[in-house]
This record gives sequence, C-alpha cells and structure tokens, in this order.
Amino acid sequence: MSEVKFVKTVCRSCHGGCGVIAHVKDGKVIKVEGDPESPISHGTMCAKGLAITQLAYHPDRVLYPMQKTNGDWKRISWDEALDTVASKFKDVIAEYGSEAIIVGQGTGRDYESHFSRFGNLLGTPNILTAGHMCYLSRIGATLTTCGRHPAIDYANNPKCIVMWACNPQWTNPDEYKGVSFWRAYEKGAKLIVIDPRKGFLAKRADLWLQLRPGTDAALAMGFFSVIIEEELYDREFVSQYIHGWDAFVERVRKDYTLKRVEETTWVKQDLIRKAARLYATTKPAGIHWGVPTEQTNNCTDFTRTAVGLMAVTGNLDAPGGNVFHVPPPVRKVAEFSAHTELPKEQVKKRLGGEQYKLAARMTFITPKCAWDAILTEKPYPVKAGYLIGTNPVVSRANAGEVYQALKKLDFLVVQDFFLTPTAELADIFLPAGTWLEQNHVAENWKFHGYVLARQKVVEIGECWQDHKIFMELGKKMGQQWWDSVEDALDWLLEPTGLTWDEFKKKGYLHGDQKYYKHLEKGFSTPTGKVELYSTIFEKWGVDPLPKYTELPESPISQPDMAKKYPYILNAGLRTPTFFHSANRQIPWLREIRPDPIVEIHPQTASQHNIEEGDWVWIESPRGKAKERAKLNDGIDPRVIVAEHGWWYPEIQSSGHGWDVSNINMLTDNSHESMDPVMGATNLRVLLCNISRCEDE
Amino acid sequence: MEKVSMVFRKKNCMGCHACEVACKQEHGLGVGPRLVQVLEKSPDYIPIYCHHCAKAPCKEACPVEAISRNEQGIVLIDNDLCIGCRECLEACPFGAMQFEDSQEIAVKCDLCVHRLEDNRRPACMTVCPTGCIYLSGKKSIAAVFEKTTRGGSK
Repeated sequence: MSEVKFVKTVCRSCHGGCGVIAHVKDGKVIKVEGDPESPISHGTMCAKGLAITQLAYHPDRVLYPMQKTNGDWKRISWDEALDTVASKFKDVIAEYGSEAIIVGQGTGRDYESHFSRFGNLLGTPNILTAGHMCYLSRIGATLTTCGRHPAIDYANNPKCIVMWACNPQWTNPDEYKGVSFWRAYEKGAKLIVIDPRKGFLAKRADLWLQLRPGTDAALAMGFFSVIIEEELYDREFVSQYIHGWDAFVERVRKDYTLKRVEETTWVKQDLIRKAARLYATTKPAGIHWGVPTEQTNNCTDFTRTAVGLMAVTGNLDAPGGNVFHVPPPVRKVAEFSAHTELPKEQVKKRLGGEQYKLAARMTFITPKCAWDAILTEKPYPVKAGYLIGTNPVVSRANAGEVYQALKKLDFLVVQDFFLTPTAELADIFLPAGTWLEQNHVAENWKFHGYVLARQKVVEIGECWQDHKIFMELGKKMGQQWWDSVEDALDWLLEPTGLTWDEFKKKGYLHGDQKYYKHLEKGFSTPTGKVELYSTIFEKWGVDPLPKYTELPESPISQPDMAKKYPYILNAGLRTPTFFHSANRQIPWLREIRPDPIVEIHPQTASQHNIEEGDWVWIESPRGKAKERAKLNDGIDPRVIVAEHGWWYPEIQSSGHGWDVSNINMLTDNSHESMDPVMGATNLRVLLCNISRCEDE
Repeated sequence: MEKVSMVFRKKNCMGCHACEVACKQEHGLGVGPRLVQVLEKSPDYIPIYCHHCAKAPCKEACPVEAISRNEQGIVLIDNDLCIGCRECLEACPFGAMQFEDSQEIAVKCDLCVHRLEDNRRPACMTVCPTGCIYLSGKKSIAAVFEKTTRGGSK
C-alpha cells in the first residue's frame, strides 16, 4: 500500500479557476477537494468539479487515438494518427487552400492560446469558437466601448450588486465564482436581480425585475431613461470621459421612454425607476452580467449599454464597481496565438468577415458561415474540420443543419474525452487529457488579474493534454512550436522572472492592481473616452449608438407565427451538474438530474393537460425536442424555459439520441436573426408551442 | 466529550448539489444512497439530511442494535451488524436513512467522523458556496441561527 500524495491544481470542469487538492494513490486520483488557499474559490468546489474522478476514469472514455474505417473505430498509435491528419490537411491545403479547413473549439479546456496558434500557423482564418455569443463577444463589445473588459470588483465590496441574467452560484463563472458574490452580498450589499425566472437570487433580491426574455438591452436603456431624467449621472465624468453623450441622450429621450420600455420588457415603470435609482445612487455599485444577454441579436448593444451605465454612474474602474483588473506580467494569449502570422490574404478570406466585423476583429467566425460554406461550397469549398472539445450538433443553433454540414465534410478530426454525437461523425479521434492531466498557466485569458498554476496530477491511458496535441500536430505540419509543453509555459512566464517549475510551487500570481487608470491615460479607445457613440462602428458603417432591436422571433416581430407558436421559449436553462453538453454520462451527476427539464407555468401546463413529470414536445418552426415537465410558478405563463445540451450517452447506437431532447433542433441561425457585428446566434429566445407526448 | 451536531440553514441553500457529490466521494458511494440530498422546488431548495437525533427513531427501530450513538452524539450504523430489514428507513422522519442495494444494508450520514478525528470539517460542509451547513459543538443549534449576518435578518 502506497501513501496518499496531495497535489495542488486548478479545476476546469467549467470555465474553471477553482483551487483543487487532488489526492493521488498508486498513480490514480482517488479524490479531489477544494483548496482553501485558492484566491478564486476559497476552498469551495461545485458538483461538476467534484465529479472529475468519475469522468477521468469513466469506462466509456477513449484512452487512445482511433481511426474510423468502413464505419468501425480501430485503435491506432499517436504517430499514425498525427501523420494521417497532417497528410490529409496537406492534401486539402494543396487542392483548396488552408481556408478549406475549419478549426473549431467549444468553451475550451483553457487552450485558446494553443488552439489559435495552430489555426494561424496552419493559415486558416476560419476559426470557430463559442466566442460569437459567449464571453469573447463581451470582450469585443467592451474593447470597442471602453478599451477593456470591466469585471465586477467583489473584493472591494460593492454596496449594490446588479445580477443581470446570471446565476454564478450554479454556472458560467467567468471572472468570479459564486462564493465571491456571496461574500459581498452577505456583507450587506443591496441586490438587484434581472431574470425572467424566479430563482434563488431573485427570491433574495431587494428588487427583482422579471423581464421578457431577451429584452435586456431595452431594459438597460430604461435605466438610462431614469438616470438622464433625474440627472443621476456623474456630470464631471460624463463631460470629460464620455464620447457622444448628447447624441446618446437624444436617442434615449426619443426612443426609450419608460412607458415604451415597459411595453417592450414587461417590467413595470416604477420598478425600473426604483432599480435605476438604487444602482445609480449607491456607491460603489457593480454589474455582474451573464451570457443570456449575449446570445441574442442585441449581443453587442446590451454590453455597450451596460458599460455606459457603469461609466456614467462613476463606477467604472472604481473600487467595488466594475474594474479593469491588472494582470500579472505574463505573456498574453494574443501574443502566443501568433495572430500576426496569419497572412493578410488569408485574413481577407475569413468567412463572414465583411459582414460580422467585430467577430472578424476578434479573429473568429460565426458558425453559420462555416455550415453555409460546407453545404453550398460558397464563397469557396470547406472540406475538412478539426474540432476540439466541442459538440456542435448539440450545442450550436439549428442542430439539424450542423449535423448535415459535419457529415458532408471529406475529413473530420475530433479531439475529446468521449465518442460524443459530434465525434461519431469524425474520421480520426484524438484522446484529450482532462484538467487532471494538464500543465498550464491557467486563466491567462481572463480579466480578474490572476494566473493560476494548473499542474498535471496524473496521466491516463495514452491521452495527451490538448496543448501537446496542438504542438505535436503543428510540428508535423511544419509549424514553429516549443520542444515541450513546459518550455512553452516557461516562455509565457518569462516576464515574471519565474520558470514553470517555480510558478507551479507558488500556485498563482496576482497583478499589481490600480484603480481610476483613466485619470492618467484615458481609456483605450480611439477617442480615449468611453465611446457610447462608437467611432469604430461609425467607420464600419454600423449604427454607432447602442439600441434595442426587437427579437427576430417574438409575438411583436412575428405576430402571424405567434398564432401557431404562442409561447416565448427561453432556451438554455443551466443546471449546476452539467456544462453545456458535458457530464450526461457521469453517474453522480446524472443521478441528481436524470432527465432534461422544461419548466412550464402551472396555468399554462393545465391548458395543455400537462402534469409535473410528463414528457412534453416543445416545437418551433424548425423542429422539436422532448423534455420532462417541471411546473414553476416563478416564470411568466407566456414563457417556456428549457434545458439545453442534452444527448443520451447510454443510447448505444451512433448518434446517441442527439436529436431527441436537443433544444437546438428548434433554434434559428439565419443571418437575419443574428447580431449584425458579432454574428451572435439567437440561442435563447424564440417562439414555440408545447404538447404532451402521447407515446410516453 | 463535547457533543456535535449539524444543521443546514435551508434559506441559504441554493440547490447546487455540491454537498451531495462531496458526500458520495467521501464515502465511496455510487448511484443509489444519498446521505444528503437537496430537493428542488425552485426557488426553494430543501436539504434532506441526518439530524443525529438525541432520541434517534432509527436507533430505536433497529431490531439488532446495529445503530448506536457515540459520545459525541453522532448516530452511527455498524454495517456488519445490519441485516437489511429497512425498519430504520421507515422510522426516520426526515427520509435521511438510505439503502445500499449492492450490499443490501442501510447506510447513513456518519458526520464524516473520520474527518472530525483529524480536526477536519465534514466533506459536505467544505464545499458549500453559501456556507449554509453548520457544525455546532458547545453552542446550541439555536445559536447558529442567532449568529446570522445578512441572511437571517431578511
């Protein structure tokens, strides 16, 4: 019997960042616990992270590279796998050009730097990420508005917290975990919750604004309407640091009277007034906003308006407000990514680059452009794909089209843990390591001022950490990389004076935080001010002022369609156990949530003869999915709320029931429905009808 | 020896289920028995857990005296003595007694007694992001509720 060894590392079962102490015995992780010394999670861990041993040692996990021949998977060596991929990619490049290869990831396992570097050195501008509608879209919107992403500053105790479309204690903790929010809240902060659904936080809030799903940008304009009318803004800041204030005020006065905002958002005027007053007059106050605001056609405009609120109330870069965290002096993801190595003529070929200018500037494409190019070969053919840690047939809009497109590819490589419905369509499967199998300077892309040491705890089967796979495949393609993963980390860390081995012992680095940085050097925008009127958008020929554009599919924009599909589907309900399409095969987690859940107001359910626990068809003009009814009187009777990400690993046939309970069978990805500069797909709000499944 | 007891401040439970997975991991349990379980009735979350009752109905119901209460007041089950009759499951007013199908024995929360010996908190408690799980020693359980910060005053 050998002894138990304890290794400190950092979780990545979601966006990650929580400190972990892994218990290792006989070369196997037998348990994980929270690290009380972690500056991010303070010893807590969530259900997903705690279940990592069941994922890492899952019997279905693929532990070696595989090749599919005549429909059957067979084990091959890493050399065979990488040689095959490299030679196929070279053939495609020779015949169609590098742009005919799509390189795609999902949320990612903290390998953005390596992923982008591989794509750039390959010479393809067609980088597919979730960024068009998740996180990077807010980075793009904040970049153009105030120069950098302003994250809420919980460490300095905001006195008022606006929790806007976010439930950080369950999910999607980008910069901050639920525990940081909770500590600030417990110190007595006022809480404003903006959510169509009465959850735990809405119940606790001082003010809960139950808006019509997807109208966040209109509500933000409503806040401005009050702040302008009652002159609750910081006059000095506005006169010195806002570009385009007069034009913006004119638009708010003209288009966003509180009466009109109430009609659009369903939130009562007096409640909007109270919330705007509370936010604008309590100092400091911070806004913590979530991804639903980004997954609509108003993606960019919401974030720009929210930044405007932070700015005019004097909360931008103020302690306890929304601040520009200063990172430690580690080399940046962008530098590692070698964006400048992508030849100019290739940049010009980026699919949808002319249409979705902000996405192009952020160096990614919206998936619709990829599916179009594969299926129609216009503007040019796309023949091969390399998908890493992503399951787009479940997680991207209009799943039916995604499935057809991926099926049509001549050659598809998938890099993941399991044979997901997407991986089943591949020709080559590359087995990736979990976060327990990864050495990395973690969280280097986040805006919370930290980098964290995620160190390899074990190796499992023949799996390689993604970073190593990019490197070794890159070398086979003749690309410039480092000798080892750790050599690359040494290079990233060089400006800090630490090597990877030294950093690993330290655990984390924190930047030298300063506030009110604009007093010295203004904001990093073309005018040096917060651009409520965007000079960049103006140059692009896009409306320079933010606004609310009615959702492409709503009772207002599509009254005829609403006759057949009378409910507003709020798709993408998060759970604390799953991360998008992940974890459905993890016993501890699936036991907690065995079925996909659709929430229906009791009144609406009774009209359709639906009872708690019934299977329900949810249907849109594009398709249908079935989920299990949970009655919830904390939602509006006109709204249906459904979980996303569902497939059934236990269904043994190829495809694993990818189209049975997949809410993206219903979602739309038409160009008309997307954000005009970011290409954000409208994943969250559409029209639907419901009916009880008669065959269950 | 000082008695210990555990309480959940229900109003601060937000349904993340981290306590459940931490408990399963700590006790090496698979699918089936849930020594702590959070029921969801959004926006309310109801933790079901062993209260280590002073006059424990499970202990009284057990026909073979497999259940005992130690000097710290922790109600424990001796798996070797258990005959799998499920009387304790029926007796527990909280639904906290669980059954392990593979071994056909009753199982229950042991308050992570092996961790307490090392001066470590029970596994469920370490992961809770709102800190709604309390382990109370000398002070009574009531004192836990008195020492509320914001959560109790609202």
